Amino acid sequence: MAKQEELALGTGGVATPDVDPGQGPRKPVSVFAEAGWDVSLRVGSIVALIVAWWAMGLFFPPALVPRPWETFAEVGVIIKTGEFYHHMGNTLWRVFVGFGLAMVVSTPLGIIMGSFRNQESFFEPPVILGLTMPGLIWALLMLMVFGIKEISAYLAVAVTISPMLTISIWQGTKSIDKDLIDMSTAFHASVYSKLVDVILPQLVSHILAAIRYGLGLAWKVIVLVEGFGFSNGVGYQVMHQFDLFSVKGVLAWAITFLIVMIFLEFGVVGVLERSVTRWRPRVEAWRR
Amino acid sequence: MAYVHIDRAVKYFSREDGSPLKVLDDISFDTKEYGITALLGPSGCGKSTLLNIITGLEGLDHGRVEIISDTEDGERAHPQLGYVFQDPRLLNWKRVEDNLKFALKGMEVPADEWDERLDKYLSLVGLTDFRKQFPLYLSGGMRQRVGLARGLVIEPQVLLMDEPYSKLDQLTARQLREDTLQICSRLKQTALLVTHDVEESAYMGDRIVIFSARPARIAAVYENPLRSSERDTDDMRFIEFKKEVLETILNLVKEGA
Repeated sequence: MAKQEELALGTGGVATPDVDPGQGPRKPVSVFAEAGWDVSLRVGSIVALIVAWWAMGLFFPPALVPRPWETFAEVGVIIKTGEFYHHMGNTLWRVFVGFGLAMVVSTPLGIIMGSFRNQESFFEPPVILGLTMPGLIWALLMLMVFGIKEISAYLAVAVTISPMLTISIWQGTKSIDKDLIDMSTAFHASVYSKLVDVILPQLVSHILAAIRYGLGLAWKVIVLVEGFGFSNGVGYQVMHQFDLFSVKGVLAWAITFLIVMIFLEFGVVGVLERSVTRWRPRVEAWRR
Repeated sequence: MAYVHIDRAVKYFSREDGSPLKVLDDISFDTKEYGITALLGPSGCGKSTLLNIITGLEGLDHGRVEIISDTEDGERAHPQLGYVFQDPRLLNWKRVEDNLKFALKGMEVPADEWDERLDKYLSLVGLTDFRKQFPLYLSGGMRQRVGLARGLVIEPQVLLMDEPYSKLDQLTARQLREDTLQICSRLKQTALLVTHDVEESAYMGDRIVIFSARPARIAAVYENPLRSSERDTDDMRFIEFKKEVLETILNLVKEGA
């Protein structure tokens, strides 16, 4: 105790933020400057990737490693002709529906597994097995069982990503602060209020992380389903370009994909994340 | 108003091997009405167990614990207990005022009283300007103040405080003790404070109940000779009293060793 006091006085009365005895709220440190630097780092990394691609092209014929600018020109053509909207629209819709199905199953399942020991033991094996099953196999199975129908695409996406979503929400539920549950019991909170005010807010960051990973997985499997069986969608187009042995075409379609990905990741999920985590100050000092 | 009446309370825990371990041994005392009762004892002596028994989280093996209040029939009963925890245990995703509303909602306080109560208790703890702030943007001391306001806003008959200053730095804790003491005496709030800090008990407690090491017996009960407004940690009379309490505790520790 005496030592603590000494410490606080030893700094000449200037308290560090963590032991702030004063009454002022903490000020965020020039958020905008930091964000600007952050963005330039990200842009720089993409530029570096393109340069590496270009450099590789010096050692291979253009048919094998097409020049970056030619490929980007091809992307422009794909977008301009409207093919992009048609195929990407189909693909996005399939991912969206599959994702929705998976969330509807995984969220309650994950919360149940995180809350009850018996249910945890019972559901753990299928979830872990599901996690190790390659998306390719789900894609083939669904096409064989349901045929070349939309339902195959929805289910392939849902089944591939739901183990990962479940695990994330399950682990999130286990890490919930029990003291807060006790607190809410002490203040007689209803079951509904406990769920909405206390439990779900603690799961939000886990659910968002799961959505990020889930999107990545969903793309991988939807391309397979579409490539094998469908006559539209980005996967179909990639397969078509493969049949033509057009590396440029495969890459161009892949790039349209990446653009949409980046938009979803930083635009949609990022905005969502910022709006639901406004209460959390950005503390990144420990990373430097 | 109200006080807690504890009558020959006995509590056993079962050890790993199943044999019983006596935690509370024939504890009888009443908390002070309209004042703070400090429950002082060495760590692990069973203070928190008693708190859990008062809140109903654990049962008793013998004896009785009850809250005696003179609330008349027909009058809307106040909730019996309010809590201030060691960690503030706030819902960090809710603004300060919404943390208080969470308690009001749980305790089914009519919504038309909420605004008045929020104003009153936030201003008492000095957080009027921060009612729209999120807790993680506040300092540790301010968060603990929110916890105090949440315990008070439901206007409980008895406020239970479980070592609420032990995780704060010295200066913040001192300030918060002073403020809590003032607030409680202004509200004539009956409160039970669990602590292992001798000075804190002498400063905060109108009555001080000292527990021995496990199994907890009542080693001594002091009435604070100083009124809350007279307590000053540099005052000779306070230092004398603190010494007296300290010696009792030191003797206990010696006997136990």
